[in-house]
Amino acid sequence: MKAMSHTMSVLKLGSPAVRLSVVCLGIPLLVLLAAFLHAADAHAVDLDAVLAGISVAHPLGCDALGRDVLARLAEGLQLSLGIGVLVIGIGAVLGISIGLAAGWFGGYVDSLLMRLADIVLSFPGILLAIALAAMLGPGVDKLVMALVAVGWVGFARLSRAQVLSLKSTPFVDAAVANGSGLIYIGTRHLLPNIAAPLLVEASFGLAAVIIGEAGLSFLGVGVQPPDASLGTMIREGTRLMLVSPMLVVWPGVVLFLLVMAVNLLGDALRDRLDVRRDMRGAAQGAGQS
Amino acid sequence: MFLRIALYRLLQAVPTLIGVATLVFLMLHLVPGDPVDALLGEMALPADREALRHAMHLDEPLLSQYLHFMGGLATGDWGNSLLDQRPVLALMSERLPATVHLASVSLLLAVALALPLGFWAARYAGRRQDMLAMGFSLCGVSIPNFWLGPMLMLVFSVFLGWLPVSGMDQPGSIILPAITLGTALAAVLSRMARSSWLEAMGSDAIRTARAMGVGNGMLWWRHAARLAAVPVVTMFALQMGAVLGGAVITETVFDWPGLGLLTIEAIQRRDYPLVQGCVLLIAGFYVLANLAADMLGMWLDPRQRRL
Repeated sequence: MKAMSHTMSVLKLGSPAVRLSVVCLGIPLLVLLAAFLHAADAHAVDLDAVLAGISVAHPLGCDALGRDVLARLAEGLQLSLGIGVLVIGIGAVLGISIGLAAGWFGGYVDSLLMRLADIVLSFPGILLAIALAAMLGPGVDKLVMALVAVGWVGFARLSRAQVLSLKSTPFVDAAVANGSGLIYIGTRHLLPNIAAPLLVEASFGLAAVIIGEAGLSFLGVGVQPPDASLGTMIREGTRLMLVSPMLVVWPGVVLFLLVMAVNLLGDALRDRLDVRRDMRGAAQGAGQS
Repeated sequence: MFLRIALYRLLQAVPTLIGVATLVFLMLHLVPGDPVDALLGEMALPADREALRHAMHLDEPLLSQYLHFMGGLATGDWGNSLLDQRPVLALMSERLPATVHLASVSLLLAVALALPLGFWAARYAGRRQDMLAMGFSLCGVSIPNFWLGPMLMLVFSVFLGWLPVSGMDQPGSIILPAITLGTALAAVLSRMARSSWLEAMGSDAIRTARAMGVGNGMLWWRHAARLAAVPVVTMFALQMGAVLGGAVITETVFDWPGLGLLTIEAIQRRDYPLVQGCVLLIAGFYVLANLAADMLGMWLDPRQRRL
C-alpha cells in the first residue's frame, strides 16, 4: 500500500508536463460539459439542419444527417474513453496474472506463456487488432476483445520480468517460509513492488488503445453507425471534407488532445518513477497511430 | 561467434513464424457461425454452399485443414481469392511494390527529420530548443495518422491545390502519404536519438576523450554519435516492421494501392483467404525486421552477442 501511495504522490501538480496535460485534457472535458449543458440528442436526425453551420441551436454545427455535432462528439469521447479504460483494465488484469504466473512458476508454464506473448508481438499491434475485429464481426464487445488480445502482452512481459527479479529477495522468501499462498504473495508483496512500471505501461497503453479504437472505427471494423466514436466521426467527416471541412476537424482535435494529455501524463510518470521502457513497445506505439 | 549466434537467432524465428501462421489459420474460425454463411448469405443454394465449403477445405476435420493450410504456405500455394479466383500470392505481389515505395520514402523522411532534431534537442538539452523539438515529438506520437492524413489533404490539396488528393499516378502523390506515415516514426526516432546522444555524452568513454583534449565537435559527431548509434539503429530496424502496420491506415486514407489497402479491401469484401494472406505477409516482414534489429544490435555492440 505504501508503494501505491508513493506512486500517487510523485505526480506533483507543479511539473510542466502535468500542467500541460491538464490543459490538453481541458478541451475534451469542456466538450463533455458543454454537451451536458446543451443536452441535444446525438442520434436525432433533422433533415432541415443537414450540414448546418455553427449556431445557437447547434454550437458546432450538424453532420450529413442533421445530427448535432457537439452531442456526437461528447458521445464519441465517452465511448473512446470508456473502451480505452475497459481494455486497459481487462488487459492489465489478464496480462499481470499471466506475467506473475510465468515469472513465479518458471519452466514449462513460463515457456508456453511467453511463446504465446512472442507470437502476439510478432504482428504490428494495429494489424492484429484490425484482423481480429474484422473476423469477430461488428459490436463494441468484439472490439474490446480484439484490443485486449493485443493489449495484454505488454503487461505480461513487464510483470514477468519484475517478478523474476523479486522472486529471490529475502522478503519474498520469508513470505513463502511463512506458508503464504501464491495469491496472497502476489497481491500483498509482488504487486505493490511492481506497481510503478505497470502504471507507466498502463498510461502509454491507454493512449495507444484510444488511438487504436478510433483507428479501427475509422476503418469500419470498430464502433458501428449510428453510434458515434471519434473514429467514425473522422471517417464520415473525411467523406464530406470538400463540403464541410469542420466535420473532420472537430473529432480529430478532441482525439489528438486527449491522446496528448494521456501521453504527457505517461511521460511525467515515467520520469518521476524513473522507469525505462521496452524499445519494442515504443516502436509498436509508432505503428499504432 | 557472431555468425553462430546470428544463425541461432534465425532458427529461433522459425517457431515464431509457425506460431504466427497458426494464429492466422485460427482467425478464420473466429468468424461467428459458419464462414460460408457469412460469405454467401443465408439465402444461398445448398449446392453453392457445399462447393465453397469444399473449395475452402471447410468440410475436412480441423487438423487436416491446418495441415493443408501449413503445407500450402510452405509450397507457395497460399490459396485463391474468393472473389476473383486469382492466387492470393499473385494479388499481393502486384501490390507489394507500392507499399515498399511508400514505406521506404516514409522511413527516409523520418530519419532525415529525426536525427538532426534529436541532435539539436540533445545539444541544447533542457533549453528552449530542446522543449521545441520534444514538443514536436510529442505531437507526432499523439496525432493519429488517420486524422493527420485528411488534414494534410485539406490544407495542401483542397485549399492550396499544390498536391494531388489521393492515388499514386501523379508526380507529387507520394509526398502527403509519406509525411502522414513518417511523422510518428520521426517522433519516436528523434526521442530515441536525443536520449541516446545524451546518455553517450555522459559516458566514461566521452569523459576520457574530453580529458585527452578531443574537441567538442569531434566529441559530439564522432565519439558520442558512434555510441548513440546502437539504440538508434536498432529502433530504426524495429520501425521498418512497425511502418507496415501504419501503412494499412495511411494507404486507406490516401487510396494508395499497396498491401495495406488490399488488406482493408479484402476485409470489406469478406475475402478471408486474402485477409489471411495479407496479415501473414505483413507479420512475416515484421518478424524479419525484428530479427534484423537484433542482428544489427549485435553487430554494432558485441555486448549483445549472447545466446
